[in-house]
Amino acid sequence: MPAIEAVNLAKTYVVSQRGEGFAGSLKGLFTRETRNVEAVKSVSFSVEPGELVAFLGPNGAGKTTTLKMLSGLLYPTGGTLKVLGHVPFEKKQDYLRRFSFVMGQKHQLWWELPALDTFRLNAAIFDLDAKRYRRRLDELNELLQLDPLWNTPVKKLSLGQRMKMELACALLHEPELLLLDEPTIGLDVVMQKTLRDFVTRLNREKKTTILLTSHNMEDIETLCRRVIVVHHGIILFDGDLPDLVARFVPAKQVTAVLKEERPRKDIERFGAVQEYNGLRAAWEVPRGDISSRVSDILNQLPVADLTVEEMPLEDVIRRIFKEGAV
Amino acid sequence: MRKYLTLFIMSWQKQLEVRSDFIFERGRSLAVLFSLYYLWSSLLTNRADVAGYSRSEMLTYVVMMTLLRAWVLSNVTDRIPSEIAQGKLSDLLLRPISHFGYWATQDAASKSLAIGSVCIEMSLFVFFIRPPLLPPTSVAAAGAFAFSTLLAMAMYFQMSYMLGVIGFWTAQSWGPRFCFEVFLEFSAGAYFPVDLLPGAAQKVLAWLPFPYLVFHPLSIYLGKAGPDQWLSILGHQVMWIGVLTLASRGLWGAGLRRYAAEGG
Repeated sequence: MPAIEAVNLAKTYVVSQRGEGFAGSLKGLFTRETRNVEAVKSVSFSVEPGELVAFLGPNGAGKTTTLKMLSGLLYPTGGTLKVLGHVPFEKKQDYLRRFSFVMGQKHQLWWELPALDTFRLNAAIFDLDAKRYRRRLDELNELLQLDPLWNTPVKKLSLGQRMKMELACALLHEPELLLLDEPTIGLDVVMQKTLRDFVTRLNREKKTTILLTSHNMEDIETLCRRVIVVHHGIILFDGDLPDLVARFVPAKQVTAVLKEERPRKDIERFGAVQEYNGLRAAWEVPRGDISSRVSDILNQLPVADLTVEEMPLEDVIRRIFKEGAV
Repeated sequence: MRKYLTLFIMSWQKQLEVRSDFIFERGRSLAVLFSLYYLWSSLLTNRADVAGYSRSEMLTYVVMMTLLRAWVLSNVTDRIPSEIAQGKLSDLLLRPISHFGYWATQDAASKSLAIGSVCIEMSLFVFFIRPPLLPPTSVAAAGAFAFSTLLAMAMYFQMSYMLGVIGFWTAQSWGPRFCFEVFLEFSAGAYFPVDLLPGAAQKVLAWLPFPYLVFHPLSIYLGKAGPDQWLSILGHQVMWIGVLTLASRGLWGAGLRRYAAEGG
């Protein structure tokens, strides 16, 4: 049975409109117009237990709304949804005990108290006995090095420390399904890597099913094989990451480091130049022309080093959403 | 049960961390007590009674009313609308704990601190001011008063919880709540006994739940409501708890469907 099964899932928000300025506010006291905003138009996908899947899309694409429907926070206005065998919006105790949703900009830790107090509360809420609670604290401590932070009031923690604590707290009850919304937002590179390593281990060792959204392409490249691309509330692509690149970007990037400077006109003979600084040049080369173009470059330019790579994922995504590749 | 006990203790911890709110609330309570006590004290200095209330009865009403303000008319549910508007409600909805139970526990924790504090304040007030306090008219009246006060606490919680849940429909809930609380305190008898009001106003209030929060329990205490009326008072309180429970549950269910879980 799939961990998640969504069929034609839809969510329309009713948003009230208000006129500009004081006159608009005054008018809004008496009449208020509303309009419907289709955040998710129709989304169908399924996720098997143990998968690690990324939701990609620009702001307002419907990624977070979809995750919120999966968590049961939002009531879908259309379609059917089953997560871990439950209809999420019913908020059955059994369902709530089996998943966790971490939002990068939200916190469940009690601001004024040390994080350990919220852990104790969650242990009580999720019915963890003392032995299991102790074991989980030790495990999470080993993975995320939380020891020096337990007794510091949450408001005194740095963003990175707080994010580690939030993640640990959300995982205290060993959820089968983890929904992560922008987990690395605002974190420095060291903390980003710590979190990515942690999520990888969680998926590999505990077989936790993980769905994440992120604008950080390193998160996606490091963590996920499968990606679901959402735009304007519909799914544009659902498949493996390499297939996404091959399908939407019919070119690779050839980069050459030269032994001596060459003028730009010499460089432009080999294709669309993406980067040029005299001693280093990069071209976008159609996949079918790679071998002949590489051969030409090696024969006609003083090449010290040459690499052929997929286009950077950020460029791929930018191209998909900006240039209408889809 | 363990989760609510842990939550109760944490709520205490939090309130002790955020002391200023607590101190200001206690200050407000003392200000109301002193102003009403001395107002009625001077009004009744040269008069035998006002609308059937002797000086001792009225001053007992004022002192007991201060206790009931802390026991009944205190709540923490005014935070619910902002939690809905800012999407903080999401944290709670994602965990296997009842929202109603969560706030009822927080409310109980807040009340228990307020009760402890008001008992100390009242002891000092009685010690230094020596008001002419009357005891309940009988042991049975004391029991009926205690039971009625408990029902009033449940009633007021349901009422304020329902008002909090209206936050699903309007983010600007401070205005409606302020108006509601002013009207509520007035019509509950939290400034003076409502039977001092004109007959027409009393007839209107009889159809509302508010007098059952302070006025009727104190009527039992002072013997203004005899044993033959106790059952009616307690029955009305139970009825209002039922009505308010159904209304708040209905609003909660409808509100959840509108909830946008904003801010994340």
